[in-house]
Amino acid sequence: MNNRDVAVLGVGYTNFNSVTPEVNWKELMFEAAQKAYQDAGIDPRTDVDSFITCAEDFWEGFSIFDEFTPDQLGAALRPMHTVSGDGLQGLANAYMQIKTGLFDIVVVEAHSKISELLTYEDVVQLSFDPIYEAPLSKGVHPYYVGGLEMREYLEATGTTEEQCAAVVVQNKRNAFCNPLAEFEAQLEVDDVMNSRYAFDPLKALEIAPRADGAIVFVIAGGEIARSLTDRPVYVEGIGWCSESPWIGSRSSDAAYVKRAAQMAYRQAGIENPQLIDIVEVDDQFAFKALQHLEALGLARPGEAGYLMAEGAFGPQGQRAVNPSGGSLGCGHLMEASGLARALEGVLQLRGEAGPRQVEDALVGVAQSWRGLPHGTGAVAIFSRRE
Amino acid sequence: MTFSEKFQKTTDVKHWLGDMEVDHFLYTAGIAGEAFFVALRDKGVILGTRCELCGITYVPPRIYCEHCFAELNEYTDVGLRGRVRSFTIARLGKDGNELKKPEIFAVIDFGSGTTGLLHKLGEVTPETVKVGLDVEAVLKPKSQRGGHITDIEYFRPVG
Ligand SMILES: [Zn+2]
Repeated sequence: MNNRDVAVLGVGYTNFNSVTPEVNWKELMFEAAQKAYQDAGIDPRTDVDSFITCAEDFWEGFSIFDEFTPDQLGAALRPMHTVSGDGLQGLANAYMQIKTGLFDIVVVEAHSKISELLTYEDVVQLSFDPIYEAPLSKGVHPYYVGGLEMREYLEATGTTEEQCAAVVVQNKRNAFCNPLAEFEAQLEVDDVMNSRYAFDPLKALEIAPRADGAIVFVIAGGEIARSLTDRPVYVEGIGWCSESPWIGSRSSDAAYVKRAAQMAYRQAGIENPQLIDIVEVDDQFAFKALQHLEALGLARPGEAGYLMAEGAFGPQGQRAVNPSGGSLGCGHLMEASGLARALEGVLQLRGEAGPRQVEDALVGVAQSWRGLPHGTGAVAIFSRRE
Repeated sequence: MTFSEKFQKTTDVKHWLGDMEVDHFLYTAGIAGEAFFVALRDKGVILGTRCELCGITYVPPRIYCEHCFAELNEYTDVGLRGRVRSFTIARLGKDGNELKKPEIFAVIDFGSGTTGLLHKLGEVTPETVKVGLDVEAVLKPKSQRGGHITDIEYFRPVG
């Protein structure tokens, strides 16, 4: 493989809010893009070789969405494509374009304007198999599949409901230290345990609320990043994969993350994931954070819940997990959720995470899951190389 | 930004209400689906396809093995009895409000080595349902079956 290294040259982002009526989705993208180019010290009209957005038509409310993306990114009449997947999958595309030497500077964008989708549940329902699965649950909230998957995970690992509740407590507490986040709360495990079941054993408080926001990453060849910034954060590895779409065939151990992590760790030369300092996992449902931590090799099967409840993944613990507050604290940003996890990794490794800064962080991992009812995940490894 | 105030609702500003008109589409059952739904409708049986190499029976049937990519054409009647691998009690409707009566969904295995079938449970309460419960399919009367997944009304505890 080509030895060229790949680095994050700049990041830009909006706040994450439950509604954003002041701006339309293009203006949301524009705000994040402006900030990213300023952060990177580049002009998109002359310096960027290729642009990538990550979006799914149905979230956007119209079809062939990718045709509407160039102007607000400074990408008119330039190479541009859309990845119908999570932001980390877009980052993987940028990584490859730079690694191959085809391009020097590539921009990746993902956003959510999900507050405008007035029939979110119907669109999720439309992503179920239309012949075998969708006809069974007409009128029922499609997140019931989260309850099915949670029960199977608890059965397989012996994890308790209280341990899952501890994820909500920690992530919503972490969000107090993240000015971008909107869903911070001071809760105890009992508060979550006493809250109502939505899809037993999954409680309503364990489901990440949705939010709007946009994130832009400027990615560059290592030699270019080193010449333009004194704080490059390197993308050391990135992996992704999809498991069977059949709900009845799904693994209980997030195999989509296990495989993606193997791929990313191999590229990054990581033999022992316990050496990772900053961990941002997908937590669209509280139990998913525990399942994903185990799939990443950061806890043995059935141990993540115990460690979470003991505070081992908290700000004072052995390893910071979701210091950003995760999706439970920041809101679920649809296809931008993976970039939100990666953003926290970059800010931490640059030493720009403010009151939630983790001392001496050298290596970070960001992990995404594309959400119900499917099994696609991605894992990216970042480091500041010192 | 041109607005000096913070809006709380998307409807507080100029907006347009649109429709995504996607409710008419024709989904073909395919080779395995045709076999599955015709057998369910006409004979009242549940079919799967078997991959001998991997030792997996796919329920509902598929013509390919997701593990070894073999083409599968060995259809097998897996019976109407299965076991609950996982279940959930769905309490919320699509509108986010409590359902009048919760619905119980389950993933059901038909012996070891089968993939799970997603379906509903009936004649069971949130208090009595559990993982490992032996269940059987309750089919609609033959005259009312049309070759749909809902020809199986639900699965109920055996005995
Ligand atoms: Zn096979």
